[in-house]
Amino acid sequence: MPAFLAAYDFLLVSMVLAAVLALSLYVPLMAGQLSLASPGFYALGGYIAAITSTRIFPTASGLYPVSLVILEMVVAALASAVLGLLVGVPALRLRGIFLALATIAFVEILRVVSLNLDVTGGAIGIFGVPQPFASQIQYMWLGLPLLGLCMLFVARLERSRTGRALVALREDELAADAMGVNPTRYKVLAFTVSAMIAGVVGALSAHFINTWNSRQGTFDTGVSLMAFVLIGGSRTFVGPVVGGLVLTALPEALRGVADVSGLPAWLAQFLRDGRLIIFGVMIALGTVFFPHGLITPGVLQRRGRRRADRS
Amino acid sequence: MSVPAARVANGATPAADVLGVDALTCRFGGVIAVSEVSFGVRPGEVFGLIGPNGAGKTTLFNLVTGLTTPTGGRLRYQGRDITGLPPHRIAALGIARTFQNVRLFGELSALQNVMIARHVRTTSGLVSGVLGLPSARAEERVTRQRAMALLELVGLADRPDEQGRNFSYGDQRRLEIARALALEPQLLLLDEPAAGMNSGEKRGLSELIRDVRARLALTILLIEHHVPLVMDLCDRIAVLNFGQLIALGPPAAVQKNAAVIEAYLGDEA
Repeated sequence: MPAFLAAYDFLLVSMVLAAVLALSLYVPLMAGQLSLASPGFYALGGYIAAITSTRIFPTASGLYPVSLVILEMVVAALASAVLGLLVGVPALRLRGIFLALATIAFVEILRVVSLNLDVTGGAIGIFGVPQPFASQIQYMWLGLPLLGLCMLFVARLERSRTGRALVALREDELAADAMGVNPTRYKVLAFTVSAMIAGVVGALSAHFINTWNSRQGTFDTGVSLMAFVLIGGSRTFVGPVVGGLVLTALPEALRGVADVSGLPAWLAQFLRDGRLIIFGVMIALGTVFFPHGLITPGVLQRRGRRRADRS
Repeated sequence: MSVPAARVANGATPAADVLGVDALTCRFGGVIAVSEVSFGVRPGEVFGLIGPNGAGKTTLFNLVTGLTTPTGGRLRYQGRDITGLPPHRIAALGIARTFQNVRLFGELSALQNVMIARHVRTTSGLVSGVLGLPSARAEERVTRQRAMALLELVGLADRPDEQGRNFSYGDQRRLEIARALALEPQLLLLDEPAAGMNSGEKRGLSELIRDVRARLALTILLIEHHVPLVMDLCDRIAVLNFGQLIALGPPAAVQKNAAVIEAYLGDEA
């Protein structure tokens, strides 16, 4: 077990962080809003952590205090909430594909801005973000509780008055409006919660991957996140979590397959580097054959019933 | 609740009316869907709205519930000007509706459909709901109970967990009525509630509407094509034709009105 953890430490933590990011995309989707803004807030959170830990509290030697990492995560959440509100109020007047496009533009604007600012290190970015842990697997001490908290949050949200309002908007915005649900208010709320989650993950990720630059949190990340949610499932919080975990591990698994001898060179190459192509194809096929993703409330209920029957 | 004296004097409707429609006009480009329509709906009455297809009945409902903004005229609800308010504000004031082509939350259960409409009568927010504070949990319990009671009222209490879209057309219309009632409205707008129902279901619907009005002290505004149902249920009827109000009065009088016979009952008279 320790050998496994050591060999796959980076992957395992990445899986957990991906699952949290997928939840960030899932929350607006509860209200029927496909927002691809999460990578933008993820990038923002990362810069906040990277700048804070390298410029404001530089540590000469030894480990960076975990308490400061948590502080950065909180600051990232608040900053993302503020920016989320500012972007969300005008952006959420748009619907469907136009909202998706606007959020892609937002991510792109943030990328270009960070590429051209001094404080973000321009094209080079910020190197040597200090480490709070001696080994990478120890990031689980922050990653797992974060995932657990976010899962608990979304699970309870789904069963609350607020969650019902969001789902009503997804099902029929006009009818929800006529039944007293303020569409703008709840869409902005979902968008802001989504921004906060992404910001927190970004702050932790900056430490985890040790460096932060404008290639973090781009449209590519958005496509991956969309794959996590649409393939995992967009009708229960379990879907994006499983999607994030499994699809992050998938490229590694494919790489393992590619190393099997006897494969044609082009196929091995594709399995190694075709991650985004594979995700894209899966999104396309998934939306046709599993429009609500692989894990749906129906699937979970059937499993629960089977377990109840057995006992 | 006080209304400026001038408005009462000028308006076509006195302040005692639940709903006052005053010279209401709605234009879509060159088409006038509703033209200078004025009438008042009195507390506790069942007010029928009839007219040929395209007469502007559903547009009028959309204007009253805020889904469409009027081009001209005023709307007053319980003495308060509601012209131009967004739908959710109007709903919160106590106006609920059903839709001509049923708009349930199809993927959600019957119970959830009804619970959602308790939104404006409940208050727990994001934080208290997620943390499961005692106040939020108590509210959730009451919401569930009331929703179940309403399902019982419309006769769907045996299938609370069924998805909305799985119900028969007639049952979907009853579920929509339960959802509208969950809002605790004082004014209920029913858009062709009997459409798609068989004659047995129609009789049941008449009883349901009468029962609900008596029990909940409701005022009901009703669009319906099924003439016997309208004549049977309504205290007064307004007839629209090409967006204009051509007759208004008790069913018997409207039935004899020459303009109405020509516009609407022509074939049957």
